[in-house]
Amino acid sequence: MQLSNIVTIFKKEMTDTLRDRRTLIFMLLIPIVAIPLLMLGLSSLMVSQITKVKEETSEIVIEGESFLPEELRTMFVEAPGLSIRGEDEFEGRDLMDELKQGNFQALVVVSDGFSSDLERENQTEIEIFYDEAELKSEFAEDKIRDVLSDYKEQIVQKRMEQRDISTDILTPYTTTSQNVAPLQKIAGKEFGAILPYLIIIMCFMGAMYPAIDLAAGEKERGTLETLLVSPATRGEFVVGKYIVILITGIVAAFLSLGSLVFSLNYMVEDLLKGMSKMLAIELDVHTIILVFLIILPLAGIFAGVLLSVSIFARSFKEAQSYVTALNMAVILPAFVSLLPGVEMDYKMALIPVVNASLIMKDAISGSIEWNYVFVALLSNAVLAAVTLVFCKKWFEKESILFRM
Amino acid sequence: MIQAEKLTKVFKDKKRGEIKAVDQVSFTCEPGVVYGLLGPNGAGKTTTLRMLSTALRPTSGTAIINGVDVAKEPQKVRSQIGFLSGDTGLYGRLSPREMVRYFGKLYGMSKSAIEERTEKLFDMLDMQDFADARNEKLSSGMKQKVSIARSVVHDPPAMIFDEPTTGLDVMSSRTIVQFIQRCCDEGKTVIFSTHIMSEAMRLCDKVGIIHEGKLYAEGTVHELLEKTGTDNLENAFIKIVGE
Repeated sequence: MQLSNIVTIFKKEMTDTLRDRRTLIFMLLIPIVAIPLLMLGLSSLMVSQITKVKEETSEIVIEGESFLPEELRTMFVEAPGLSIRGEDEFEGRDLMDELKQGNFQALVVVSDGFSSDLERENQTEIEIFYDEAELKSEFAEDKIRDVLSDYKEQIVQKRMEQRDISTDILTPYTTTSQNVAPLQKIAGKEFGAILPYLIIIMCFMGAMYPAIDLAAGEKERGTLETLLVSPATRGEFVVGKYIVILITGIVAAFLSLGSLVFSLNYMVEDLLKGMSKMLAIELDVHTIILVFLIILPLAGIFAGVLLSVSIFARSFKEAQSYVTALNMAVILPAFVSLLPGVEMDYKMALIPVVNASLIMKDAISGSIEWNYVFVALLSNAVLAAVTLVFCKKWFEKESILFRM
Repeated sequence: MIQAEKLTKVFKDKKRGEIKAVDQVSFTCEPGVVYGLLGPNGAGKTTTLRMLSTALRPTSGTAIINGVDVAKEPQKVRSQIGFLSGDTGLYGRLSPREMVRYFGKLYGMSKSAIEERTEKLFDMLDMQDFADARNEKLSSGMKQKVSIARSVVHDPPAMIFDEPTTGLDVMSSRTIVQFIQRCCDEGKTVIFSTHIMSEAMRLCDKVGIIHEGKLYAEGTVHELLEKTGTDNLENAFIKIVGE
């Protein structure tokens, strides 16, 4: 194999690829434009949904409203975000059914002895019914609890005053808890999950079109034979093409990493004011180098698999349909980073895509276990080399190149 | 000079078993002479030429091109030959100049040699006007010229044309036919395949009749007509193959 030939082939294929609109869309446009827009859209939708629900008033019904002590009744009426509907509105209908149907958000049941029990200092009970599947109903339950616990405190205070006891005895000591996890780790937990997933998918998609074009495209255009009869060896063609695909995959992955971090730090932050600290993912040089180290052999596997599929296919279309199927084989294992509770171990470190997904997740949250990283890098690098050798074998095989 | 010696190619097919696409074909093409392989589709013409051009390896037998053995030293043979077929395509996103330059480099030519050769070819083929346009924007006639320039950038002593005019319009195929004649005049060894009898009659100095992988007859057009007692190549072909 001659380096000069590989360089010639690489340069030509790179020029050709960079002039291909489809490649540019997947390699540049989606990472730079679509990902920030997606993140922005998702987070603003989330924020607006939450604020909308929080600001809305929840309607509640109090069964036995007349049994409530006057003070508590006033507190309910004055509570922000709660509006009480009279139980007589639902005369003759089952209140529980009405709640389940969502006609109001929560039901408070007061027994007739409630007021007198309180006065006599007998322990009594008040029941809340709500629908946990409904966000609005959950908020209503929250608000009702707030009102009830405020009232409870008032009663306790009154009773203790009557007995001349200081309320301090209720709090012998105070506790404060402080979080020691670095910001990186919190951010990693929250958003470290989605970053690896998107980076892996984009790495694959960036390599997809060049791969199809560089082998199946040659067959389709009728340029393959001219290459085969030129003095450059088939191995040189495979290596030159492979490097181009590898680079497009890496570029796409890094552009998406950059634009994800940028959009999380500068665009989404303003929207999620309370959570802005959590979102400040700070990628230091070490993390970026590590991500690069992980992406490199992974992109190598993608390039090898995509190129061999493309060499095998008779036409552009055939290659496209294989690649669509392959896409699923990448999306599912990449999804592992989004699953809670999946932990890295030596078995996981050997599975391509899954290992990269988990390591990136750990790297972003700042808890890297190097033994797994080495195993994963080694296993991915070996696999990438195997796919490259496989490509070369197929590119030398007449029955594959001239498939009928 | 191209000498095919008992060239044989066997394909393995899952359903049909072994297929002898080319069966012990031998012939000789001299420099300055156009040799035509004549036969219907599926006769084994393309496979034969692919073995000559080293795209396929012969199952048995070999061919010697300018003293180099196709089976033993395919890498060496490649710089001796130019290859062009009717369905040879171009890289649409490259310009004719970039395309020719790329192949020049693949053939191991120096930068200055490539520039010199490109200028000469572009002048000769009247390509200067579109030398830097994208290939995908060119007319089919222009595209053929790019293919021609690509195939001879390294000035090979032997030319292999596989059904060069198939699927081309009148103007494009005229360009190709003129080019074949020019190669012959320059003293190159030229072999080409066709299923169009009239084309063979017009162009070939020597014809080989190929059918079902076997070479049935060989000779000048005149000899074949005389031998079969017919007045055109079509009838001669039917007579030879039908025997």
